[in-house]
Amino acid sequence: MSRALSRVANATVAETLKHQAEHQAKRPDQELYRIGVTGAPGAGKSTLISRLASRRVERGAKVAVVAIDPTSPVSQGSILGDRIRMDAVSDDPNIFIRSIPSRRAHDGLADNTADLLWAMEGHDFDEVIVETVGVGQAEYSIRAIVDTVVLVLLPESGDAVQAMKAGLLEMADIYVVNKADLPGAELMAGDIAATADRRADVEGGWVPPVLQTSSRDADSFAALDEAIEAHRAWRQARVDADQVRRARTRYQVQGLISRRAEELLEAMAEDELDRSPKEIYQALLRQLASAPEDGDE
Amino acid sequence: MGVTLKDEIVAWKTDNGIMSLKGKRILIAKPGLDGHDVGAKIIALALRDAGADVIYTGLRKSPDYIARVAVDEDVDAVGLSMLSGSHKEIVAETVDCLAALDAGDIKIFVGGTIPADDHAGLIAAGVCGIYTAEMTVDDVLSAIDKELAA
Repeated sequence: MSRALSRVANATVAETLKHQAEHQAKRPDQELYRIGVTGAPGAGKSTLISRLASRRVERGAKVAVVAIDPTSPVSQGSILGDRIRMDAVSDDPNIFIRSIPSRRAHDGLADNTADLLWAMEGHDFDEVIVETVGVGQAEYSIRAIVDTVVLVLLPESGDAVQAMKAGLLEMADIYVVNKADLPGAELMAGDIAATADRRADVEGGWVPPVLQTSSRDADSFAALDEAIEAHRAWRQARVDADQVRRARTRYQVQGLISRRAEELLEAMAEDELDRSPKEIYQALLRQLASAPEDGDE
Repeated sequence: MGVTLKDEIVAWKTDNGIMSLKGKRILIAKPGLDGHDVGAKIIALALRDAGADVIYTGLRKSPDYIARVAVDEDVDAVGLSMLSGSHKEIVAETVDCLAALDAGDIKIFVGGTIPADDHAGLIAAGVCGIYTAEMTVDDVLSAIDKELAA
């Protein structure tokens, strides 16, 4: 699978579409259970994933991890450092880790995450855990592409939480106050629980649990593992799979269009950009309409 | 129009003839028992600044582990940073482990304290470049760039 993923990861939009057309028929429909782990930089996402992944493996799952790190907007290069924090499970044959750069995306994911996850279906894995870039308030695209969103918070990040209330905080299915051995964890968990309760107005709605974890307490991750199972069961009973599939396809197509638009804009000559936005927009539309053919790049 | 940092980097890359590192995936690895990774980190950062996607293994990894990460991450090249004197054994094992995983096409370069007497042996063992502390970072980058473009 490693090389198959690289083909998608490095592909232009034209190549991606070609790959998808070739694999559409034999691809199973949404079998991989997708878990997203998001939170601020330094919240402990990678370490938490390594603990979580070994729990999932104990359940008998084969787990893929897609860890996204930011691409430098200056050099386009990246340091993909999440794997170092996953040392403990790096050796496990039931866990596959792929580090990917965010490339042009600014939404906490990589601009081709949806296509990568698409390509991972049917590859002998039961679950995939997606680790976002360290995010702030509004980068919640992860919601669109995974089944269970785990938001990792730190004790004493109260101010940040206030700020997040209108964004990411509303998107989580499970809250984790990590590094709970630090002071302030109880208070933080209480604050979050108060807002989480308000979300469960609907009869039978999901009440997001608020957990506390600490890498000093291996057992604290068992509760996270169980909460994911509970959310999974709830989704199976309550969430319309067709609706989810359509929402994902929408996100994926949006991504393909905007990547293609960026490819075209980057290829545009400087003086073409001296025209009015409307003229450029129309020129771009014409180019988009002439769909990229196989091997035109 | 002011000159931005990005312009400077583009100019620097052009001056150094660096074209091919953008989008290349490179694993920087620390095999063996020495715990000094300043050099490895400097090279990792320089590669990032040249546009590569760089994965760092962390300290004290076995050749077997390094080879498996290289395959899972599907890198173009592995850079082994070694200051412990065990470079001959480590290189031979890493080459074997990569071959065993059907990944003999992944290039290996080495850096660190590698005595000149050992260079020919390492090249014969399958290493594509040897970059020692006497070289400037720019020279190392140009050399890696050339190797990966080939």
